[in-house]
Amino acid sequence: MSNYLDALSVLLLISAFVLMGNKRTNAYIKSFKMQSILIAILTGVMGINSLLKDGHVDMLVVCAVVIGIKVIYIPYLLNKTCKNVAYRVEKDFYFNIPILILGCCFIVVFTYFSLSTTTGINSGNINMQVINSVSLILIGLFFMISRKKAIGLIIGFLVIENGIFVTALFATQGMPFIVDMGILMDILVAVIIMGMMAFRIDEKFVSTDGNKIKDLRG
Amino acid sequence: MVEAVYLIVQISVIILIAPLVNGIIKKIKALTQKRTGGPLLQMYYDLFKMLKKTAVVSDVSSWIFKVTPFIVFSTAVAAALIVPVTTLIKPRWFPGDLIMLVSIFALGRFFMMLAALDAGSTFGGMGASREAMISSLIEPSIIVSLITVGLIAKSTSVFEIMNFMQEIHNPLIHPVYIMSFCALVIIIIAETSRIPVDDPGTHLELTMVHEAMVLEYSGRNLALMELGAAIKQLVFITLLVNIFIPHDQLINITGFAGIGISLLVYLLKIVVVSIVIAIAEVSTVKLRLFSIPNLAALSFILSFIGFLQYFVFGG
Amino acid sequence: MGFVLLAVPVIAVVLFFLLKKMQYQHAVSVTASIILVILGAFLTREVMLYGTVEYTALGGIFYIDALSIIVLDIVVIIGFLTSVYSIGYLEEELREGKLDQGRLRIYYILMYAFIFTMLLALTVKNIGIMWVAIEATTLSSAFLVGFYNGKDAIDAAWKYIIICSVGIGIALLGIIFLQFSSIGVVESSQFLDWTALFNNAADLKGPTLRLSFIFILVGFGTKVGLAPMHTWLPDAHSQAPSPISTLMSGVLLNGAMYGIIRIVAIINHSFGNSIFVGRIMVTVGVLSVATAAVFVFTQKDYKRMLAYSSIEHMGIIAIAIGFFTPLSIFGGLLHMINHSFTKSMLFLSTGNILQKYNTKEISKIRGMFKLLPVTATVFLLGLFAIGGAPPFSVFTSELLVISSIFQENNFLVGGLLILLIAIIFTGIVVTMFKMFYGNEIPRETSPGEGNIPGVVTIVGLLVIITAMGLYIPGELKGLIENAVKIIIGG
Repeated sequence: MSNYLDALSVLLLISAFVLMGNKRTNAYIKSFKMQSILIAILTGVMGINSLLKDGHVDMLVVCAVVIGIKVIYIPYLLNKTCKNVAYRVEKDFYFNIPILILGCCFIVVFTYFSLSTTTGINSGNINMQVINSVSLILIGLFFMISRKKAIGLIIGFLVIENGIFVTALFATQGMPFIVDMGILMDILVAVIIMGMMAFRIDEKFVSTDGNKIKDLRG
Repeated sequence: MVEAVYLIVQISVIILIAPLVNGIIKKIKALTQKRTGGPLLQMYYDLFKMLKKTAVVSDVSSWIFKVTPFIVFSTAVAAALIVPVTTLIKPRWFPGDLIMLVSIFALGRFFMMLAALDAGSTFGGMGASREAMISSLIEPSIIVSLITVGLIAKSTSVFEIMNFMQEIHNPLIHPVYIMSFCALVIIIIAETSRIPVDDPGTHLELTMVHEAMVLEYSGRNLALMELGAAIKQLVFITLLVNIFIPHDQLINITGFAGIGISLLVYLLKIVVVSIVIAIAEVSTVKLRLFSIPNLAALSFILSFIGFLQYFVFGG
Repeated sequence: MGFVLLAVPVIAVVLFFLLKKMQYQHAVSVTASIILVILGAFLTREVMLYGTVEYTALGGIFYIDALSIIVLDIVVIIGFLTSVYSIGYLEEELREGKLDQGRLRIYYILMYAFIFTMLLALTVKNIGIMWVAIEATTLSSAFLVGFYNGKDAIDAAWKYIIICSVGIGIALLGIIFLQFSSIGVVESSQFLDWTALFNNAADLKGPTLRLSFIFILVGFGTKVGLAPMHTWLPDAHSQAPSPISTLMSGVLLNGAMYGIIRIVAIINHSFGNSIFVGRIMVTVGVLSVATAAVFVFTQKDYKRMLAYSSIEHMGIIAIAIGFFTPLSIFGGLLHMINHSFTKSMLFLSTGNILQKYNTKEISKIRGMFKLLPVTATVFLLGLFAIGGAPPFSVFTSELLVISSIFQENNFLVGGLLILLIAIIFTGIVVTMFKMFYGNEIPRETSPGEGNIPGVVTIVGLLVIITAMGLYIPGELKGLIENAVKIIIGG
């Protein structure tokens, strides 16, 4: 069991690296979908485990909702937004990709060193899983910083939320059921709103380039 | 005695199967494109045909040009000796280790690049410079990922690593090995000139890398070059499948029957991997040359994080 | 009764969907807000009598104590005033053709959705659900920020939703670590339950708790608008319609601050009033006030100016919570109330100014006393009040906070705070006071107040803040003292 969780946590990290190496918005969405599938598997594994151990079905319900929202609906929504936003540029990052990926590596090392010295987290076998999932959050933040486009920012936000969700699973075996549901609903609504706004930004000034939001400084 | 068996099995199996991998990949690609494609054994026929023909050698080229096919072929065969196809044959001494393997390939590649420059054609120079770029990018991650596995197995001998991995229950659910595995997959794609990095089926001057370097060769020289490349590809695939998907621990029979079964399973794995490669090639497109550093960086980071995780998990 | 409080905004939203006619919508809005005020008063009485209001229904999720009732009362009262103000404001917008009937409906729906999420955040015991509700406040107010659909408005809304969502996501990470620190201490059915965490605070795992506090401070601090995370706040406040700016400044910031106070209470209870939390809170607070002091001088837009003033006052509350003495917390909570009312008054006044002059630029506005006599007077007095001049209520609470700082013998922070507040006062005076005088009145505009309900509202608020500055009712004092007891514990 713990073995599979280790493996899944590492695969999630790899999916974040792959996302960082992507160049096109379509590829972002695909990588995000892969990551969500991994999370659904993770939730499913934990859900089956808790069903067999304590007879709770909570986690399996969460798993079904994750599949519905994160694997199916949000990628569909993002693809639709992506199609509506007509203005596309190939390159929408500030640094070249190898540097970004090296940055991700530094994030993982940094997380490792900062969390491994914190007692309380450094207990038992959850150690590396938490490190991987916290790195996932930070990579999501880094992704948001490195991308200019609205879709990139939305994906970064979703990666952060994925990371938080996974951290919750690894560190605490999941939040209380109702909180989990609330979080997933919030994310869904947030993405819908962000998608609509990205579309409106596009309508207003032809580019979803966050870099051009210059008038509101100071 | 065992050593002789090892040498014979090793050389014959690798040389015999190597062209088959290309054949399978080409056939699968043809089928997905609704073509009939050439026969599965087409590469064997080509090689025989070419071996019978004399080579045309440019007047301006030096001895390097003539020697290179032999060096490429012999380094490939030497590498084939280091990576055992089955661990059931246990020679008392075992030649070389991981670092040796990487260096042998580097030697072959070095001569290949020299020869490409030697002929004086523009394509050769272009291919050589591209190959130099790719290999310099990809080499650090080969070393790091293989050394990580070696550190865990406490040996740099390929044979020992394979033996060690057989005792681990399903290495591919283990974080360190997942990382190294993913890194190695990217490395193999780059090293064997497969599609996201290089297109083996093209002769378009803008994109070709490996093909540009062998463009000047003909006849039996070309046959040696092609066979050398095929062997190199098979050696890498063998390294991957025998380290990360070990099967010999499942075979309880000793003696020649055991070896035979082991080789059959090995063949099966190679066929499956070839099919996977073919499907992957069909579903992706070649990257621009300037995107290759991205792939190399990804591979390096994966192997490095795998290395890091080794210290946390302790193998 | 408490669930009715949550049901009222939901019913209002449903009615907005059903009723198409404008007059009905105004009526529903005002009625709902009056019911909310009445329920708020009822719950306040309950809290005064029994200490807490809890129901066993839905797993004991509903929970109000003196701390939440203070913020809740601010929400319902400002909600009421805003909905009264909105009638006149929206009528004026309709007349000028900036809105149509459909948009007006969306306005009301989102406004009541916002009030619902705000009330939900304040009435739950579970910190996780509180997080969900606070995130939902961002979502429901994002479209209100971008309500006018202009380029700047959409930019501001985009910035708002991205920065706040990410920030609040980091707070969720903190909450996860909080839960992690409580594993084995509280039962799994009581995970993230505030009272359980507070009562068992001494057993929580210390280092994880510290980590959790930092994440939560950064996360909710983004929403509060504390200094390095404040960048969304001026944009959102300046671009939103004035009643919405009022709700954000007077209600939303307090709601997020309420979250921080709850966490600080747990952590200080656990560490026994350690210097760790206090130092961070005071640093962040002083930084916020200093940021406001710098930016106040460079503002060309009067709504942005007020937004920076909000950052300043949130900084002051953070400092007060950071010192964590009974007096400083008392001052902080009082300051929260006073700031809310004063800032609401100012933002509602800017609505009138904006509708009259059609510009947000300070330099283009002259002769306000001639054009808008009542609004101008209220706005001028309000600027004095927010700057901290007596006899208004902000002065009282700032005095309390600063004297509590001096009581702790921290002359550095106290002196710095006084200096910065003085600088901000000067900044406001220097940049804003030119608006009031002068004779060059734009040609198209005619003197006189347009928004009669709005004028009534702001005059009412002026009376409230003046009265609060002179005299704090005994009941309010008792309520705040109870809240202080809850925060400090025991």
